[in-house]
Amino acid sequence: MGLSTLRNVRFAGMASCIPRRVLSNVEDCPPSQRAERERLVRNIGIEHRRISSEWQCFSDLAVVAAERLLDELRWSRSEVDALIVLTQSPDYLIPSTAIILQDRLGLDHATIAYDVNLGCSAYPFGLHLLGSMIASGAIKKALMLVGDKCATVRDPLFSDAGTATALEFCEGAPPMYFDLNSDGSGYKAIMLPVGGHREPYAPHHSIPHRDEHGQLHRPSDLILDGPAVLSFSTQRVPPAVERTVAYAGMQMDDIEFFVFHQANRMINETIRKKLRLPEQRVPSTLKDLGNTSGASIPVTITARLTEALRDKQQRLLLGGFGIGLSWGTCILDVQNACFPEMLEA
Amino acid sequence: MNNIQNFIEKFLEAVDFQDPVDVTPETVLTELPEWDSLAALGVIVMFDIEYSKTIIGDDLKRCVTLQDLFKLLER
Repeated sequence: MGLSTLRNVRFAGMASCIPRRVLSNVEDCPPSQRAERERLVRNIGIEHRRISSEWQCFSDLAVVAAERLLDELRWSRSEVDALIVLTQSPDYLIPSTAIILQDRLGLDHATIAYDVNLGCSAYPFGLHLLGSMIASGAIKKALMLVGDKCATVRDPLFSDAGTATALEFCEGAPPMYFDLNSDGSGYKAIMLPVGGHREPYAPHHSIPHRDEHGQLHRPSDLILDGPAVLSFSTQRVPPAVERTVAYAGMQMDDIEFFVFHQANRMINETIRKKLRLPEQRVPSTLKDLGNTSGASIPVTITARLTEALRDKQQRLLLGGFGIGLSWGTCILDVQNACFPEMLEA
Repeated sequence: MNNIQNFIEKFLEAVDFQDPVDVTPETVLTELPEWDSLAALGVIVMFDIEYSKTIIGDDLKRCVTLQDLFKLLER
């Protein structure tokens, strides 16, 4: 039973930062693969992606987003009681990136700072974690930084981004509703099999082998079981959305926008069609910004909904799903929150 | 009516091959030049959206011909 409600937590604002460098899925590939790439692009719906410079970490993008957000909110650095980073691309394996960022952002030593290892599903889980700390009365103002450095030239899906979200205690703020789930039996569907303590890096992990299509792979490459991820996402997410809406005592029409993790067009369109939602209420950034992992929900809000959210109170349903396997839904009302334009770094 | 001709039309739309191919109920899936993981994903989505039927990757692996695929609808 992953359903819960948080009260007295206000969504104060959000900022997103993407790298300047643009990759084209069709043009930035060998001419011999062009036709195959065009078919792939048609189906995954991703034409362009953003890729960080070699020196750039996810945290470098998130810091730009966090600084802009703090400035626009006019929060002083000493007011931030907690800084939680949700990423699978930390600066180092240890220590936590969040603790390094406490210092980089000039926050107090009294700031609670640590990382959470979640990917595509991260956003609703992060809102719940930070929101719970605030709802308990333990802290008043907090930031969460979500995103990953996951783009490579070769892989056509992933794109980089860093985001910052601000929550604060506010008596009487509209409730936030959550449905959060985990299924570890599917952990092999998306994984980096090498480099942890189960299988530490060894020299043989960097020796590539050719698959039946002639593509080179290293044992240390990311494993992504496409059919398993597709089945998981399209079977789990629609009922979770309906369950959360029912739990909140709402109808689907009570929600203005449904912002889902941007996985790929096949998955996202299947989810949308199964929920019988019109395209206008389900914003997408797949075409231009690809799959930005855990950042894709805030990136899509920044890129597509900034104007709509500035004008009036809106009710959003956010749905994250993926690696773990893990899937979470959140319904929240947004009013007078701070939404800077998309940032680039 | 779910007849196999109609099913083949939907199949060809779902797999989105670059080069047109002739497909019959006896066609062996792995002999189609562009039958790949992307095509498989398209077929899983087609079953879900067009026929409200859930199939997984392993179901597809067990199918040899188009006819075998069509029979999944009867499960």
